[in-house]
Amino acid sequence: MIGFLVRRLGWMIITLWVVFTISFALMRSVPGGPLSSERALEPEIEKNIRARYHLDEPLMKQYLRELGNTLQGDLGYSFKLADFSVNEIIAQGFPISATLGIVALGVALSIGLTAGIVSAIRRQSLIDVTLMSLATVGIALPNFVVAGILIILLVFLWPVFPAAGWGNLSQLVLPGFCLGLPYAAYVARLARTGLLDVLSQDYIRTARAKGLRTPTVILRHALKGAMLPVVSFMGPAIAGILTGSLVVEQIFAIPGLGVHFIQAATQRDYTLAMGLVLLYTTLLYTMNLLVDVSYVYLDPRAKLE
Amino acid sequence: MRSVFPYLALAGLLGAIGWAVSFGTLPPADFSFCNESEIKTIDPAIVTGQPEGRVIRGLFEGLVNWHPEDLHPIPGVADRWTISDDRLTYRFHIRPDAQWSDGSPVTSEDFVYSFRRFLHPATGAEYAYQLHYVRGARDFNHARVKVGESVEIELYKRPENALPDAPGVIVRGRLVDVEPPLPDNNDEPADDHAVEESESEADDIKRTYTVEIDGRMRRFRQREDERAEPSPDGGENYRWLLPDFEEVAIRAPDPATLIIELENPTPYFLTLTGFYPLFPVNRECVETHPFPSWTKPENLVCNGPYILESRRIRDRVRLRKNPYYWDRDNIHFETVDALAIESLTTALNMYLTGQLDYIPQVPATVVPTLLEQDRVDFNPTPYLGTYYYRINTTRPPLDNPLVRRALSRAIDREEIVTRVTRAGQLPGHSFVPPGLAGYEQALCEGYDPEEAKRLLAEAGYPGGRGFPANLEIMYNTHEMHKSIAELIQSQWKRVLGIDVKLQNQEWAAYLSHQRQLQYSVCRAAWIGDYPDPNTFLDMFVSDGANNQTGWGNAEYDRLIEAAAREAEPEARMALLHDAEEILMDELPIIPVYYYVSTFMVKPYVEGFYPNIQDVHPLQGMRIDTDKKRLAIESLR
Repeated sequence: MIGFLVRRLGWMIITLWVVFTISFALMRSVPGGPLSSERALEPEIEKNIRARYHLDEPLMKQYLRELGNTLQGDLGYSFKLADFSVNEIIAQGFPISATLGIVALGVALSIGLTAGIVSAIRRQSLIDVTLMSLATVGIALPNFVVAGILIILLVFLWPVFPAAGWGNLSQLVLPGFCLGLPYAAYVARLARTGLLDVLSQDYIRTARAKGLRTPTVILRHALKGAMLPVVSFMGPAIAGILTGSLVVEQIFAIPGLGVHFIQAATQRDYTLAMGLVLLYTTLLYTMNLLVDVSYVYLDPRAKLE
Repeated sequence: MRSVFPYLALAGLLGAIGWAVSFGTLPPADFSFCNESEIKTIDPAIVTGQPEGRVIRGLFEGLVNWHPEDLHPIPGVADRWTISDDRLTYRFHIRPDAQWSDGSPVTSEDFVYSFRRFLHPATGAEYAYQLHYVRGARDFNHARVKVGESVEIELYKRPENALPDAPGVIVRGRLVDVEPPLPDNNDEPADDHAVEESESEADDIKRTYTVEIDGRMRRFRQREDERAEPSPDGGENYRWLLPDFEEVAIRAPDPATLIIELENPTPYFLTLTGFYPLFPVNRECVETHPFPSWTKPENLVCNGPYILESRRIRDRVRLRKNPYYWDRDNIHFETVDALAIESLTTALNMYLTGQLDYIPQVPATVVPTLLEQDRVDFNPTPYLGTYYYRINTTRPPLDNPLVRRALSRAIDREEIVTRVTRAGQLPGHSFVPPGLAGYEQALCEGYDPEEAKRLLAEAGYPGGRGFPANLEIMYNTHEMHKSIAELIQSQWKRVLGIDVKLQNQEWAAYLSHQRQLQYSVCRAAWIGDYPDPNTFLDMFVSDGANNQTGWGNAEYDRLIEAAAREAEPEARMALLHDAEEILMDELPIIPVYYYVSTFMVKPYVEGFYPNIQDVHPLQGMRIDTDKKRLAIESLR
């Protein structure tokens, strides 16, 4: 177990370095740069600005400087939000995105699992067809449509929630729901498939034969195995959900990381983009690692290698 | 273990929600507005955007303020000023009650310091050219030193008891010699001794400067590393070698007087001193806390109507009334929130539900609906900006003025503003938008299909035959730009029988292709920096950085230059008009429409006036509480 973790950690560092290098090269190779502006500058003024941000140095020197700083945990200052370091931006934005993400996860898991289990148990019934059709719609509907509908209903027609903003519980509900809904739909379908798969297995028949009641069979014996596909889906999904969603954050004016992600790329904010890419890589890697570890607990047949 | 999992998850969920709530609900501010995007910084010297301007105008104050109704200069930190008859010397009197937010007085020295900092190459100010009108300022900003003139050298050595971010020791002297020998561009006498810093690649060969300081010759040579040993030839290391700032005509003979001398009479200079890049910063604050930490709420010392209370990234900037502001009796909001809301729809939703009092822009798609509703709080007003098409005049057949004229006359601008933009924009037939006092625009000829066909035939493409099929209209990704480009594409097809392609580019790529003339026709827009036709027309001088069309015209350059030197306002406007006439005749750019600003402001906000630069000073603005209460009740 320890050896496994150490090995994975080693790979993670290599992965991060590769990601760093590729991102560095990609960002520098696209047209434009952090100083691009509609207002072209006199060459002398532009030179002053380039010097201020070390953009006048040879690429290799910039690469080594950034790599060195990153290794020391210093991601530098953002180009476009110049009053803040990348560390500060992540420190402020990540908890917000993560909170929203956790609420969305709560929505996704509670709705998704319930719907999935009910569907599996009442297979081929009207309720199953209805729930699964809803799930398909949930996957297909982009969340800005869901958000638009919810805003019209719950902000304007029946004003129970504020239109946007961040800071109290009521402002958390709509965005959490919008962000969680598509995931709930996926979870429902995966849980249904997983549970149906498990329910046809021998050990379930054994459990029933022992005279256990259906709820006990499902909750104590079947559910654990049925969770495997859900868990492997949730790993990467959590990494994505925690780092924020552009659309939901923009519609509800939430100061999370999702907007930073897109804007850093489009505005060529080299330092911020790099910081976010590294953060996302770390999260994704950690989540996949957690998924692998949790397999051992969920499935007695799995072993860490 | 497995039984702990769900509990852990539940605890995490509750903890997160608890944390989110503890995040604190700020009580709403007295005045909240949408500030579009998160500001780059609150350092006035290095920003250029509208959102930054809105916050900085709240925090700092320049020599003059702009009147909220028509933006003419009114007393700010300077309570009075005189301008010499030749319009070259400005003498400002600093009001005695102007104070920083730490209670210390604002003096003319603060302006000298701030302007020096603004122009210093190390600051990297984008807007530095707004002070180039001052004698000597451009050379200082460009670090252009000349042999025989006095220079200042900043050493790495620091003065004793210096503040953490104060400059190093500065020595002054006369530049005697520059090695290696000057580049051989001696054919231009004016440029004879000009030495520009070499580009980065050539930085290895640093020049050595010999400077006479207090009668002693000293040699200076710059090295990357401040700890570098002096080179064998004995050159001292230095940080900056610049023209002596004493030569820049900004002087403070006493704490209450600031004298600025200009190179040319510049009628809009007084207005510029109320433009936010020229706002003063507090020396002690800036030098005690190295950038960016001086911009933090706990460190910032400012002189405007508000102080910085808090900032949450991409959420809001909260301002609180500055008790030291000289005109504090005229400040009616205790707190002001500038919310960074990127989505126009979200801002509109928040405005309609009463969370915001002012939004600068509404989504283009809802404009017709809002206009139909005939609302008192929605009145699009002219804005000092022009939407136009750049034409790459280096690319045949667009190098032919006949072709450009044909293209222009085949554009039905009326159709564009009535079918696409639909917010009351006016069709544009000149580059300078209307609304500038004393200026008569020079117009290009309007839509005329027959004439357009004739011009194209005259250029050798009758009925569009033989016209290259590889021309494209480039635009940056945006629904509106796309619709306009599609409409123009179909108008050209309909009238001229030519096919052009559309090319959509993401913002940074669009800018860089434009700059490198890698386009045929491209969408562009220009918003005036100051209320004067010059802010539009000086773009298209032959070597103008913002020209980007490959077009140049000697007579045009001469007129712009002459206008800059002209002291008589009417004659100056006439020169600018003549210049625009050339522009509208040769058409390296095709104007499409003039912008309007589609802001919305609650009827209960008083002291808010529409104006062509869409600038709304917080000074004097107030909320009619009775009206506001009624408005809130009507929402329920």
